[in-house]
Amino acid sequence: MSGGVYGGDEVGALVFDIGHYALRAGYAGEDSPKAQIPSVVGVLEKAASVEMMDVDRIKEAAPASEKKYFIDTVALNVAKQDLEIVGYLKDGMIEDWDVFEKILNYTYAKCIKSESEFHPVLMSEAPWNTRAKREKLTEIMFEKYNVPAFYLVKNAVLAAFANGRSTGIVVDSGATHTSAVPVYDGYVLSQGIVKSPLGGDFLTMQCKQLLESKDIEVVPPYMIAAKEAVKDFEKPKWTRKSNLPEVTKSWHNYMMKEVIRDFQSSVLQVADAPYDEDAVSTIPMVHYEFPNGYHQDFGCERFKIPEALFDPSSIKGVGNTMLGVGHVVTTSVGMCDIDLRPSLYGNVIVTGGNSLLLGFSDRLNRDLSAKTPQSMRLKIISASGSGERRFGAWIGGSILASLGSFQQMWISKQEYEEGGKTQVERKCP
Amino acid sequence: MADVLDILELGRPGTPEVTKESIMGTGSQKPKPKYKPKNEVLRKPEGMARELFNLLVNDSKDAAPLFPTDTGKGYKQTKAQLGVRKVRPWKWMPFTNPARKDGAIFHHWRRAADEGKEYPFAKFNKQVHVCSYTDQEYHLLQLDNWTRQETDHLFDLCRQFDLRFTVIQDRWDSVRYSKRSIEDLKERYYDICNILNKARHTTGPEPKNIAYDADNEKRRKEQLKRLFERTSEQVEEEANLLQELRKIEARKKDRERKTQDLQKLITAADSGGSVTGAATEHSPSTHRGTPPDKKQQIRKKNTPFVTPKAKLELLPSVETPSTGIKFPEFKASGVFLRSQRMKLPPSVGQKKSKAIEQMLTELGLELNPMPTEDICQNFNELRSDLVLLYELKLGLSTCEYELQALRHQYEALAPGKTLEIPPSLLSNNDPTIQPEEIPTRPKTLSEVIDIVGTAATPMRKRKAALEQNNMLKKIKNRM
Repeated sequence: MSGGVYGGDEVGALVFDIGHYALRAGYAGEDSPKAQIPSVVGVLEKAASVEMMDVDRIKEAAPASEKKYFIDTVALNVAKQDLEIVGYLKDGMIEDWDVFEKILNYTYAKCIKSESEFHPVLMSEAPWNTRAKREKLTEIMFEKYNVPAFYLVKNAVLAAFANGRSTGIVVDSGATHTSAVPVYDGYVLSQGIVKSPLGGDFLTMQCKQLLESKDIEVVPPYMIAAKEAVKDFEKPKWTRKSNLPEVTKSWHNYMMKEVIRDFQSSVLQVADAPYDEDAVSTIPMVHYEFPNGYHQDFGCERFKIPEALFDPSSIKGVGNTMLGVGHVVTTSVGMCDIDLRPSLYGNVIVTGGNSLLLGFSDRLNRDLSAKTPQSMRLKIISASGSGERRFGAWIGGSILASLGSFQQMWISKQEYEEGGKTQVERKCP
Repeated sequence: MADVLDILELGRPGTPEVTKESIMGTGSQKPKPKYKPKNEVLRKPEGMARELFNLLVNDSKDAAPLFPTDTGKGYKQTKAQLGVRKVRPWKWMPFTNPARKDGAIFHHWRRAADEGKEYPFAKFNKQVHVCSYTDQEYHLLQLDNWTRQETDHLFDLCRQFDLRFTVIQDRWDSVRYSKRSIEDLKERYYDICNILNKARHTTGPEPKNIAYDADNEKRRKEQLKRLFERTSEQVEEEANLLQELRKIEARKKDRERKTQDLQKLITAADSGGSVTGAATEHSPSTHRGTPPDKKQQIRKKNTPFVTPKAKLELLPSVETPSTGIKFPEFKASGVFLRSQRMKLPPSVGQKKSKAIEQMLTELGLELNPMPTEDICQNFNELRSDLVLLYELKLGLSTCEYELQALRHQYEALAPGKTLEIPPSLLSNNDPTIQPEEIPTRPKTLSEVIDIVGTAATPMRKRKAALEQNNMLKKIKNRM
């Protein structure tokens, strides 16, 4: 027992945090994950002359389904003919188990570089995960990976732990959605969960529309061989790579998305107050240069797009069917017991990569204080570092799995063998 | 303050001891007063040399230290003591956690010396006691709207979530069983615990019951919810009303103060000429103590002040120092001019002295008459009476004004009605106040409050100034 004072005990556990943007993996007790693997893989239908990935060495040869998987950023970003991009998650839950296994194989082989049977595994899950999926995951981990112990925790709980809270409302703004999850004493109150499909991907889509309407061509870097410096708003001068293979649409879109995502994180900002053209126009413009050399300043647009997160009525066609972030939080708290509400409003924990948008938590604070009674103490808790915010749930898992008093919580292999996969429902509520 | 006391080495008042008795108020005896430790002066024993005694007892009355406190290291840097002890090795070793029931084996780093010791974190495995029942006992616990399965489900959840009822309610299987509130679950659980407790302790003292009042809890939460769901307008209105209430109370206090002033004046007027200048030795306390003679009492009944007086006498009588001018007794030693006695004391404000001046000129008197002994005394008395008269008139006009204001308020609150003011309350010699036109539109509460509130300050001042002029004229006429 190394850090007896801090209650830590290291058992060599691994922590996996599954998100829509990426899977985070690493050893418990460390302050950031060892690897972040995109949650999409490239799939090549037939075994061609393309060289085999190392990962397939682990996988027992299955010649029947001649599928090659390209995992992780390096392999994904190489242009290949017929490479399709596939995700394995849907609504925060694992949908394609084959692909998931491939990614796990890759992680163990390339990032963890150790055998799975030596390390207990703590995994995060969506708070609304279904029982069948949890059981299936447990089964895979014990049967296939032969882990000595396993544990499943809701990612909202982990994010709360990472911020030093066991009670609070976790506002998680991730790639596909923004959710508010009430956590009480380390348990998710499942009846109070509120989700909204407005997340990072939504903003990416809006940015794409904006660029299209402005007639700005987005060229992913893989197509560019060379470019020249041009002036503002001038037509870019770039030369196309000559030997580009015929890529699929999904792959090209993925590459486009990466560029727009970069644009989104460097240009967009949330306005302090509800969007007001006059107020916003006084704020300095932001300059952005696209991979093909085209560059210009962006003014009001950079506030207008993220405004939709807080006030969805500004989105065309959607109307009032969606909830803004502030509304998501108040609705969720409103569904909880009245005695809990003060402690929830006193601990509004902001996490998720999309919350890194400039001014996100300030605006949330403003919106919430307008909606809560004045006597209610409102406190927004958000880690300042971008790493802490993006890996919030992973860090919580890292803390939890390295606690000495947590070691009695694992579902051990023995327990799994005696009780079967239904153990997960009882042990990891 | 306490710090100052500490610095001066004065004893600080001890904070009263907090005991159960002091909180509950049951203790009949007063808390023992704390005795300050007395500064005992050590006496030099007889026969001891003074030098030796001084070594033992110094000025600060501490005994000399028994052994030297200066260890000689002073400010020298202590050398880091490295490599003295042998390195204690760590080992990656398997362990079982006694807090686990399955005896699973994990591995961790531990000092080799600690091998085989119990897992240190096992002691944190605390369990909440959740009571349980047997099949035989269940017949005691039967309830119409709770089935056996439902009760079992409740107790399973209680055990799983260590009695966190919020979570239990969240995970309650509302598909198989009817939906239950937290209060229902708590009530059922505590009832069962109480019944079981009672049934199992047939002998000996009655076990302590867990008191849980579900209805009360429900009502409390209902209240809280209503408080929580107030709109901002409601909150604002409440704040406004509270502010208005404070205003009204301030006004009420103001009025009371004025009534007291008035009472003061009336008492002063009643005691008639007894309010005199400095020449008569006269103090307010003796003045108050002497009962008014019969003649005065009779006269009092005939004065037009009867009604307000009667009303005023209902008020708690206060210490009423005589109004008018109190000329100070001339105390300075040595020779002085008698005219000094006629100087108005500085306590008489500018307004009053102006009024005196004006009235004196209207009466055709000199402002500074020849200060003979007689003139001095009479002149002072006259001026004192003039001030009194002035204040009484002022008080009357204020009363009139209050009356009118109240009438307006009444009419605004009860539209269509007019308040008949009994003529005894009106001073008929005051033509300035005319009944104003009655507002026909019914008014809201806040509007009424506003009317009264705004009318209070600027109008009154103007009116008071007007009154003053009128009053002076009247005094002149009477004279």
